[in-house]
Amino acid sequence: MTLTSKWKLSSRALFAVALLGAMSMAMGATQGDRSAGATKSRPCAACHGADGNKTIDGQYPRIAGQYADYLLRSMQEYKNGRRDNAIMAGFVKELNTQDLADLAAFYSTQKGQLVDLSHLK
Amino acid sequence: MHPANLRVAALTLLVAASSGFAQSTPTAPADPEATPATTIEAVTTTATPVPPAAVAPALVGDSKEGRLRVYTCTGCHGIAGYRNVYPTYHVPKIHGQNAQYLITALTSYREGQRKHPTMQAQGESLSDQDIADIAAYLSSAAQH
Repeated sequence: MTLTSKWKLSSRALFAVALLGAMSMAMGATQGDRSAGATKSRPCAACHGADGNKTIDGQYPRIAGQYADYLLRSMQEYKNGRRDNAIMAGFVKELNTQDLADLAAFYSTQKGQLVDLSHLK
Repeated sequence: MHPANLRVAALTLLVAASSGFAQSTPTAPADPEATPATTIEAVTTTATPVPPAAVAPALVGDSKEGRLRVYTCTGCHGIAGYRNVYPTYHVPKIHGQNAQYLITALTSYREGQRKHPTMQAQGESLSDQDIADIAAYLSSAAQH
Protein backbone atom coordinates (compact mmCIF):
# COMPACT_ATOMS: atom_id res chain seq x y z
CA MET A 1 0.00 0.00 0.00
CA THR A 2 1.39 3.38 -0.95
CA LEU A 3 1.63 6.24 1.47
CA THR A 4 -1.01 8.17 -0.49
CA SER A 5 -3.58 5.37 -0.37
CA LYS A 6 -2.98 4.92 3.37
CA TRP A 7 -3.60 8.58 3.89
CA LYS A 8 -6.75 8.42 1.79
CA LEU A 9 -8.02 5.46 3.83
CA SER A 10 -7.40 7.08 7.18
CA SER A 11 -8.95 10.35 6.08
CA ARG A 12 -12.02 8.45 4.95
CA ALA A 13 -12.26 6.73 8.31
CA LEU A 14 -11.89 10.05 10.05
CA PHE A 15 -14.62 11.52 7.90
CA ALA A 16 -16.94 8.61 8.69
CA VAL A 17 -16.38 9.03 12.43
CA ALA A 18 -16.97 12.77 12.18
CA LEU A 19 -20.15 12.19 10.19
CA LEU A 20 -21.51 9.72 12.74
CA GLY A 21 -20.75 12.18 15.53
CA ALA A 22 -22.48 15.00 13.72
CA MET A 23 -25.50 12.83 13.00
CA SER A 24 -25.98 11.78 16.61
CA MET A 25 -25.64 15.41 17.70
CA ALA A 26 -28.13 16.53 15.09
CA MET A 27 -30.65 13.94 16.25
CA GLY A 28 -30.24 15.35 19.76
CA ALA A 29 -31.05 12.00 21.30
CA THR A 30 -31.14 12.40 25.07
CA GLN A 31 -30.67 8.99 26.60
CA GLY A 32 -33.54 8.18 28.93
CA ASP A 33 -33.00 6.37 32.23
CA ARG A 34 -35.96 4.13 32.96
CA SER A 35 -35.32 3.77 36.69
CA ALA A 36 -35.09 7.55 37.04
CA GLY A 37 -38.27 7.68 34.97
CA ALA A 38 -40.01 5.30 37.38
CA THR A 39 -39.33 7.72 40.23
CA LYS A 40 -40.49 10.72 38.22
CA SER A 41 -43.65 8.94 37.04
CA ARG A 42 -45.53 9.15 40.34
CA PRO A 43 -47.67 12.19 39.42
CA CYS A 44 -48.54 10.56 36.06
CA ALA A 45 -49.93 7.48 37.80
CA ALA A 46 -52.97 9.43 39.01
CA CYS A 47 -54.46 9.28 35.50
CA HIS A 48 -52.35 6.84 33.45
CA GLY A 49 -52.02 4.20 36.20
CA ALA A 50 -48.75 3.17 37.86
CA ASP A 51 -47.59 1.20 34.82
CA GLY A 52 -49.19 3.43 32.16
CA ASN A 53 -51.69 0.72 31.28
CA LYS A 54 -54.38 0.91 33.97
CA THR A 55 -55.80 4.33 33.12
CA ILE A 56 -58.44 5.69 35.48
CA ASP A 57 -60.81 6.20 32.55
CA GLY A 58 -60.92 6.04 28.78
CA GLN A 59 -60.14 9.68 28.10
CA TYR A 60 -56.52 9.14 29.20
CA PRO A 61 -54.34 7.16 26.82
CA ARG A 62 -52.59 3.94 27.63
CA ILE A 63 -48.86 4.65 27.35
CA ALA A 64 -47.31 1.39 28.56
CA GLY A 65 -45.28 -0.16 25.76
CA GLN A 66 -45.72 2.84 23.46
CA TYR A 67 -42.67 3.91 21.43
CA ALA A 68 -40.34 6.06 23.56
CA ASP A 69 -39.70 8.62 20.82
CA TYR A 70 -43.45 9.07 20.25
CA LEU A 71 -44.02 9.60 23.98
CA LEU A 72 -41.14 12.08 24.09
CA ARG A 73 -42.48 13.93 21.09
CA SER A 74 -45.98 14.11 22.63
CA MET A 75 -44.65 15.52 25.90
CA GLN A 76 -42.54 18.07 24.01
CA GLU A 77 -45.62 19.14 22.07
CA TYR A 78 -47.59 19.57 25.31
CA LYS A 79 -44.68 21.65 26.60
CA ASN A 80 -44.36 23.92 23.57
CA GLY A 81 -48.13 24.24 23.12
CA ARG A 82 -48.35 22.55 19.72
CA ARG A 83 -50.57 20.00 21.41
CA ASP A 84 -53.14 21.78 23.51
CA ASN A 85 -54.06 20.09 26.75
CA ALA A 86 -54.29 22.02 30.00
CA ILE A 87 -53.66 19.01 32.25
CA MET A 88 -50.58 17.79 30.40
CA ALA A 89 -49.21 21.31 29.89
CA GLY A 90 -49.32 21.81 33.65
CA PHE A 91 -47.43 18.58 34.35
CA VAL A 92 -44.66 18.93 31.76
CA LYS A 93 -44.07 22.65 32.40
CA GLU A 94 -41.52 22.01 35.14
CA LEU A 95 -39.84 19.05 33.44
CA ASN A 96 -36.61 19.34 31.44
CA THR A 97 -35.57 17.29 28.41
CA GLN A 98 -33.82 14.70 30.59
CA ASP A 99 -36.95 14.24 32.72
CA LEU A 100 -39.08 13.73 29.61
CA ALA A 101 -36.58 11.22 28.17
CA ASP A 102 -36.54 9.33 31.49
CA LEU A 103 -40.35 9.14 31.56
CA ALA A 104 -40.47 8.00 27.94
CA ALA A 105 -37.86 5.31 28.69
CA PHE A 106 -39.86 4.12 31.72
CA TYR A 107 -43.30 3.90 30.06
CA SER A 108 -42.06 2.47 26.78
CA THR A 109 -40.54 -0.46 28.66
CA GLN A 110 -43.67 -1.26 30.69
CA LYS A 111 -45.78 -4.22 29.69
CA GLY A 112 -48.93 -3.07 27.95
CA GLN A 113 -51.56 -4.07 25.44
CA LEU A 114 -50.72 -1.56 22.69
CA VAL A 115 -49.78 -3.05 19.34
CA ASP A 116 -49.49 -1.77 15.77
CA LEU A 117 -51.87 -2.85 13.00
CA SER A 118 -49.40 -5.12 11.20
CA HIS A 119 -51.61 -8.10 12.11
CA LEU A 120 -54.21 -6.74 9.66
CA LYS A 121 -51.90 -6.81 6.66
CA MET B 1 -105.57 54.92 -5.83
CA HIS B 2 -107.71 56.15 -2.91
CA PRO B 3 -105.64 57.05 0.18
CA ALA B 4 -107.60 54.55 2.31
CA ASN B 5 -106.85 51.75 -0.17
CA LEU B 6 -103.18 52.78 -0.13
CA ARG B 7 -103.09 52.42 3.66
CA VAL B 8 -104.64 48.95 3.44
CA ALA B 9 -102.11 47.94 0.80
CA ALA B 10 -99.21 49.20 2.93
CA LEU B 11 -100.53 47.34 5.98
CA THR B 12 -100.93 44.16 3.96
CA LEU B 13 -97.36 44.47 2.75
CA LEU B 14 -96.11 45.02 6.31
CA VAL B 15 -97.96 41.96 7.63
CA ALA B 16 -96.69 39.87 4.73
CA ALA B 17 -93.13 41.01 5.37
CA SER B 18 -93.28 40.31 9.10
CA SER B 19 -94.86 36.88 8.64
CA GLY B 20 -92.19 36.13 6.06
CA PHE B 21 -89.56 37.01 8.67
CA ALA B 22 -91.17 34.72 11.22
CA GLN B 23 -91.13 31.85 8.74
CA SER B 24 -87.46 32.39 7.92
CA THR B 25 -86.38 31.94 11.52
CA PRO B 26 -85.06 28.42 12.14
CA THR B 27 -87.23 27.83 15.16
CA ALA B 28 -90.45 29.60 14.12
CA PRO B 29 -92.95 29.16 16.93
CA ALA B 30 -95.94 26.97 16.10
CA ASP B 31 -98.31 29.58 17.47
CA PRO B 32 -98.88 32.27 14.78
CA GLU B 33 -99.96 34.71 17.52
CA ALA B 34 -96.56 34.50 19.18
CA THR B 35 -95.11 37.90 20.10
CA PRO B 36 -91.99 39.16 18.29
CA ALA B 37 -90.12 39.05 21.62
CA THR B 38 -90.47 35.25 21.68
CA THR B 39 -89.19 35.01 18.13
CA ILE B 40 -86.10 37.09 18.90
CA GLU B 41 -85.43 35.05 22.01
CA ALA B 42 -85.65 31.84 19.98
CA VAL B 43 -83.21 33.19 17.38
CA THR B 44 -80.76 34.30 20.07
CA THR B 45 -80.88 30.91 21.77
CA THR B 46 -80.25 29.12 18.48
CA ALA B 47 -77.32 31.37 17.61
CA THR B 48 -75.50 30.88 20.91
CA PRO B 49 -72.38 28.82 20.14
CA VAL B 50 -72.26 25.61 22.12
CA PRO B 51 -69.11 23.47 22.21
CA PRO B 52 -69.66 20.44 19.89
CA ALA B 53 -68.78 18.00 22.67
CA ALA B 54 -71.63 19.31 24.83
CA VAL B 55 -74.35 18.79 22.22
CA ALA B 56 -73.04 15.73 20.38
CA PRO B 57 -75.06 12.70 21.43
CA ALA B 58 -73.00 9.75 22.60
CA LEU B 59 -72.59 7.60 19.49
CA VAL B 60 -72.36 3.86 19.81
CA GLY B 61 -69.38 2.61 17.84
CA ASP B 62 -69.72 -0.47 15.67
CA SER B 63 -66.47 -2.39 15.84
CA LYS B 64 -67.27 -4.40 12.67
CA GLU B 65 -67.60 -1.16 10.69
CA GLY B 66 -64.46 0.11 12.39
CA ARG B 67 -62.57 -3.00 11.31
CA LEU B 68 -63.28 -2.04 7.68
CA ARG B 69 -62.47 1.65 8.23
CA VAL B 70 -59.02 1.06 9.73
CA TYR B 71 -57.75 -0.42 6.48
CA THR B 72 -56.49 3.06 5.54
CA CYS B 73 -54.68 3.37 8.88
CA THR B 74 -52.55 0.31 8.16
CA GLY B 75 -50.61 2.32 5.56
CA CYS B 76 -48.63 3.86 8.43
CA HIS B 77 -49.83 2.23 11.69
CA GLY B 78 -49.67 -1.26 10.22
CA ILE B 79 -45.96 -1.31 9.49
CA ALA B 80 -43.96 -2.47 12.51
CA GLY B 81 -41.44 0.17 13.53
CA TYR B 82 -42.62 2.67 10.89
CA ARG B 83 -41.40 6.20 11.44
CA ASN B 84 -42.81 9.63 10.81
CA VAL B 85 -40.25 11.89 9.12
CA TYR B 86 -39.50 15.61 9.63
CA PRO B 87 -39.40 15.20 12.52
CA THR B 88 -38.46 11.55 12.91
CA TYR B 89 -40.29 9.49 15.51
CA HIS B 90 -42.20 6.22 15.54
CA VAL B 91 -45.80 6.27 14.40
CA PRO B 92 -47.69 5.29 17.57
CA LYS B 93 -49.16 1.89 18.30
CA ILE B 94 -52.92 2.41 18.30
CA HIS B 95 -54.53 -1.00 18.67
CA GLY B 96 -55.52 -1.57 22.29
CA GLN B 97 -55.80 2.17 22.97
CA ASN B 98 -58.75 3.55 24.96
CA ALA B 99 -61.85 4.42 22.90
CA GLN B 100 -62.55 7.87 24.34
CA TYR B 101 -58.93 8.94 23.86
CA LEU B 102 -59.02 7.81 20.22
CA ILE B 103 -62.29 9.71 19.64
CA THR B 104 -60.77 12.88 21.10
CA ALA B 105 -57.57 12.44 19.05
CA LEU B 106 -59.33 11.90 15.71
CA THR B 107 -61.86 14.67 16.34
CA SER B 108 -59.07 17.08 17.30
CA TYR B 109 -57.18 16.26 14.10
CA ARG B 110 -60.37 16.79 12.09
CA GLU B 111 -61.04 20.17 13.73
CA GLY B 112 -57.38 21.20 13.32
CA GLN B 113 -56.77 21.47 17.07
CA ARG B 114 -54.20 18.69 16.95
CA LYS B 115 -51.71 19.20 14.18
CA HIS B 116 -50.33 16.60 11.83
CA PRO B 117 -50.82 17.04 8.06
CA THR B 118 -51.58 13.38 7.29
CA MET B 119 -53.80 12.83 10.31
CA GLN B 120 -55.68 16.10 9.73
CA ALA B 121 -56.39 15.02 6.14
CA GLN B 122 -57.58 11.60 7.33
CA GLY B 123 -59.73 13.16 10.03
CA GLU B 124 -61.47 15.43 7.54
CA SER B 125 -62.86 12.41 5.70
CA LEU B 126 -64.44 10.96 8.86
CA SER B 127 -67.90 11.51 10.33
CA ASP B 128 -68.54 11.29 14.07
CA GLN B 129 -69.99 7.82 13.47
CA ASP B 130 -66.88 6.73 11.51
CA ILE B 131 -64.68 7.90 14.39
CA ALA B 132 -66.83 6.08 16.95
CA ASP B 133 -66.65 2.90 14.84
CA ILE B 134 -62.85 3.12 14.48
CA ALA B 135 -62.47 3.74 18.22
CA ALA B 136 -64.72 0.75 19.00
CA TYR B 137 -62.57 -1.53 16.87
CA LEU B 138 -59.16 -0.24 17.97
CA SER B 139 -60.06 -0.35 21.66
CA SER B 140 -61.04 -4.00 21.37
CA ALA B 141 -58.49 -6.80 21.74
CA ALA B 142 -56.04 -6.99 18.83
CA GLN B 143 -56.70 -10.64 18.01
CA HIS B 144 -58.99 -10.17 15.03
